[in-house]
Amino acid sequence: MKCFLTKLYILAFMALVVFFGVLIWKLTFAHLIHEYHARKGHVSIEHTGEPDKKDIGKQTFETMILESEDRVKHYLGYRVLEEQRIKGHFHHIDFDIGPDNRSYCRSCHGDMPHDKVKDVRAFLNMHAFFIACQTCHVKLEEGEKTNVYKWYDRKTGDIVDSPVNGAPPGTYNAKIIPFVRENGQLVRIDSEDKIQFATEYKKNEKVLSEGQKSMAKKLIHKFISKVPVTCESCHTNNNPTLPLAELGYPKTRIDSITSTEVVGMIKKYTEFHMPKMLSPGEKPATPPQQPPVPLLSPVPPAAPPAAPPAQH
Amino acid sequence: MKRYPTIKIENGKKYFFRFDLDQRIQHIILAATVIILVLTGMPLKFSETSWAPYLNTFFGGSKMSPMIHKVTGAIMLILFAYHVIRVVSQIVSKQIFPLKKEGKMNIGEVTTILIKQPMIPNLKDAKDIIGLMKYLLYFTTVRPDGDEFTWKEKFDYWAPFWGMFVIGLTGLVIWNKVLATQIIPGELINLCLIAHSDEALLAALFLFIWHWYNVHFSTSVFPMGTVFLTGYLSEELMVEEHYEHYVRVMTKEGLAHEILPPHGGHKPFCDKPLPDKPDSPSTTTAAEQPNDTLQQGGLSS
Amino acid sequence: MSLKSRFGPFGHIGILVLLTIYFMPSSVFGADAGNCLVCHKFPGLSRVGENGEMRLLYVNEEIHNKGVHGSVKCEGCHTDITKIPHDPAKPVDCLVLCHIIEPTSEQKFSHKSVATSLEDSVHSKKDKDGKEKPFSEDMPTCKDCHDDPMFRPLAFVKKVRPGVAEDALGRCRVCHSKEAFIDKFYNHITTRLHKSRSPLNIAEACARCHDDPKLVARHNLSRAAGSYGQTFHGKAANLLDESVPDCLDCHVPKGKSVHQMYKNEDSRATTHKENRGQICNSVDCHPGASKKFSNYQVHAEFDKGKNPVIYWFTTFFIILTGGTLLPLMAILFLDLLRRLFPNASFRRRKEKQ
Repeated sequence: MKCFLTKLYILAFMALVVFFGVLIWKLTFAHLIHEYHARKGHVSIEHTGEPDKKDIGKQTFETMILESEDRVKHYLGYRVLEEQRIKGHFHHIDFDIGPDNRSYCRSCHGDMPHDKVKDVRAFLNMHAFFIACQTCHVKLEEGEKTNVYKWYDRKTGDIVDSPVNGAPPGTYNAKIIPFVRENGQLVRIDSEDKIQFATEYKKNEKVLSEGQKSMAKKLIHKFISKVPVTCESCHTNNNPTLPLAELGYPKTRIDSITSTEVVGMIKKYTEFHMPKMLSPGEKPATPPQQPPVPLLSPVPPAAPPAAPPAQH
Repeated sequence: MKRYPTIKIENGKKYFFRFDLDQRIQHIILAATVIILVLTGMPLKFSETSWAPYLNTFFGGSKMSPMIHKVTGAIMLILFAYHVIRVVSQIVSKQIFPLKKEGKMNIGEVTTILIKQPMIPNLKDAKDIIGLMKYLLYFTTVRPDGDEFTWKEKFDYWAPFWGMFVIGLTGLVIWNKVLATQIIPGELINLCLIAHSDEALLAALFLFIWHWYNVHFSTSVFPMGTVFLTGYLSEELMVEEHYEHYVRVMTKEGLAHEILPPHGGHKPFCDKPLPDKPDSPSTTTAAEQPNDTLQQGGLSS
Repeated sequence: MSLKSRFGPFGHIGILVLLTIYFMPSSVFGADAGNCLVCHKFPGLSRVGENGEMRLLYVNEEIHNKGVHGSVKCEGCHTDITKIPHDPAKPVDCLVLCHIIEPTSEQKFSHKSVATSLEDSVHSKKDKDGKEKPFSEDMPTCKDCHDDPMFRPLAFVKKVRPGVAEDALGRCRVCHSKEAFIDKFYNHITTRLHKSRSPLNIAEACARCHDDPKLVARHNLSRAAGSYGQTFHGKAANLLDESVPDCLDCHVPKGKSVHQMYKNEDSRATTHKENRGQICNSVDCHPGASKKFSNYQVHAEFDKGKNPVIYWFTTFFIILTGGTLLPLMAILFLDLLRRLFPNASFRRRKEKQ
C-alpha cells in the first residue's frame, strides 16, 4: 500500500515538475522567441502597411469576428459597470443575456435574424429577443393550435415561470414558445427530435450532396408560414394571439402593449413607411417597392395534426 | 561558545552534527522573509493575472503591501550583512590569525584557505554532477558519494547568496529612487527593476521547486527533513547524501567498525526489494542491525 | 502584460442584480420627454449594420440617468430626430449647441472648446501648417475615447470613500429642495474632485490605439500603454489602485484640459526634455526628485531595436533563469524517474541479451 502510494506520489510530482518546466519555458525562452517573431512581424508592417491599410478583404475571420467582441469594466467606485464594448457605441449597456441555447434556428440565423425589412428590422429583432422564432413564423393548423404559450429559459431551455412581473420590459432571460398538440399530448413546438434533426444537418452539412442539403433544408423549414403573425394580432385588445395575461403580464403592461401609442406607431409604419410590408401575404394595393418577403425562415416542421383541436 | 558533539546518539540512533543554532536561526529568518517577500512581490510582477488582486488585498492592498515588502526586505538585508560578517570573521579569527601567528601569512596560503572553505565549489562537485547524471540516466547503479556539503547544497547556498546581493541592492535603489538618482542616471532604475523582478522570480522558483524538493518532497525525506530544526542529520540520510564525509567522521570519532555500507542507489521505498538485484545493496536492513552495538560504543553527549 | 480590466467567472451577476432591482423612478430626471424609451428601453432593439457591425439601439435608462448626460433630452444630442417613428438616426455631433444653459455664462452649452483644444494637440488631424496628417483617419474623435461618462461620486464625511454621502445630502437639503438638482450637483462636484475614470480605465482607453500594433507601426509610435503596464504605476493601476498616475497625469500640463496633449518635441508638452523633471517631482508624486530621475524610461519596451540595453539586460536574466531552472527541472524529473523504476538499467539489459 505504502509502496503504491509512494509511486502515485512520485508520478504526481513528475507531472508537477513537467508543469513547472513548461511554465518556466513560457516565462523565459518562449518569451524571447515570441519577441523575435514579433519584431520580424513588426518590421514587415512598417514597410508594406502603408498603401493598402484599409484592405478589409485581407482581414481574417479571427480579427473580424472572434476579436470583434470586447468587454470592459468601468470602475465607478460605488459599483463596477461591466458590459460588452461595441465600437463606436456611446450609451452604456449594463445588460447582458447569454445566447439562447435552446433555439436551433439561431445556429444559422443568429440572434439578430431580421434584416430584410430595413425600417422595422430592429423592432423585429427586439421581439426575437424574448419571443421564439416559432411563435410568429409557424402558422398552426386548426388541429394543432392550442393557444398555449410558455416561457423557457434561454440558458437551460427548460420551461420556467413568467419572468415578466417586476423586470424591466424586454429584459427577460426567457423566451415565449408555443405549445402544440401531438398525438393528443401537449408538447412544445421545438421538440428534441427537431433540435436533433437540425443539429445533425449542421454537423453533416459538409458531406451532404446538394440534393440532400436541399431536402434537409426543406424538412427543417417545412412548416414555416410564408405569412408571419402580424404585429396587430398581438398588439390589440381584441383577442390577441398571445395570451398576455397567462404569460404573466400584469395589467399595466398589457395596457401599454396594446396602448394607442404602440398600436398607433404600428399603424403609421404599416400605412406610411412601408405599405404591406408587415402583412406580405396580402395582395398589395399599390405595386410595392420590394417584393413581399417572408421576414424570417427558420422554422421546424410542425408536428402532424393528430388530435382534434382542444381549446385550452 | 557552546560545543556541539559531532555525533549524538538518541534512542540508539546516530545523529550527525550539521548546523549550529546561529545558522539554524539565520535559515529560519531567511525562509520566512523570502516567503513574505515573494507573496508581496509576485502580485506586482504578475499584476494582470486573476490571482494577483486577491493576494495583494490579503497583504493589505497597495498601501500596506509595499510597506511589508520593504520592511521584510530590510530584515533580509540585515541578515545578509550579519551572515557575511560572521562568515568572514570566523575565517579570519580561526584560520587566518593562527596562520599569521605562525608567520606563514602569504597570498598563496590565504587563497588555499579560502578555496578549501567547505562551501566553495570544487572539482569533486563537477565529478559528482557527472556521476549523478550517469546514475539518473541508468548508466550505473551507484550514486556518487557526497562530501560534507554536496553540490546541491552549494547551489542552494550560492544561488540565494547571489540573489540576495542582486535583489537587495536593486531593491534599495528602487526603494530610495529619489535619493539614488541624485547620483545615478534614471535609466539605471529601469535596469534595477528588471534585475529585481527577474532575479526574484528565478530565486522564488529555484527555492520553492528545487530546494523544497530536495529537503521536503523527495521520497528520502518526505514529509520534511528535520535538520534545519535540530541541526543534526540522521545516519540514514548521512549515508545516502554525504557518504564520504560520513566515513571520515566515523573514522575520526573512532567508530570505524560501525561504518555502514555505501548507499548504492536511492533507498528503495518498496519494502520488498526484488530478488534479482544483486548489484544494488539494500541499506534499510543493514541500518537496523548495528544499533545494539552503538550503546556499547559509549559515545554520548 | 495586457492592460485589460479583468472579468471574473460571474460575468452575468450584474445582470441578475439589475433584473432584481427595479428601475429608479425616471420622473426624477425626466430626460425622456419625447418618450423615446417606449422602444429604446428594450435591450433586444438591435440590428446588424450595413458593414456587418452590431448596432445596439438600446438605452439603459437607469445608467443613462446616472451619467453626466442624464438631464439632457434625447433630442438634445440626436437633433435630427423630430418625430416618431423616425428615420435611421445620424451620428451625433458632440459639438452641437445643447438646450442646457451653462450657468456661469448663461449661454447655451457646447463642447466646442474641446474641439479647439484637440485641434491644437498631438491628436489633431492636421499638422502645424494645416496640412492633413498621414493616416489622419486614425486620429481620435470624441467617441474613440469617451463613452457616456458616468459620475463617480465621492463621500467626504469622516473618511473619503467612493459613493454618495447621505450626511452631505442632508446638508444640501437645508437650503435646496429639488432632489434632482441636489443629486446632480453633488455628483458633478464630487466627481470633478478626482479622476472621472480609474487609472486602469484611462490606460485602457489609451491602449485601444496606443497598444494596437498596426496603428503604432503606422504612426511610428511605441506601445505606450503596454509599457506603462510594466511600470509600478501601471501594475498598481492594474490592481485598481486609484492613487497612481495614469497616462493623463504625466501627459497633460497641470491645470489644463486633458485634451491639450502635445508631441514630445513641442516645448509646451510636459514630456518635453526641459519639462519632464517638473512632472515627476510634483508635490503629490516624488518631491525632491532630480532631473536625472525623470530620465527613467516609463515607456521602455522589450525591443532590440529601440532599447538595446534593456533588451540585452532582460535577455541576460531570461537566459539565466531558463538556463538555471530548466536543467534543474530535468534533473528533478530524472531523479523522480530513477526512484520510480529503481531497477531498470542499461547494463542489465545488455546482460540479458
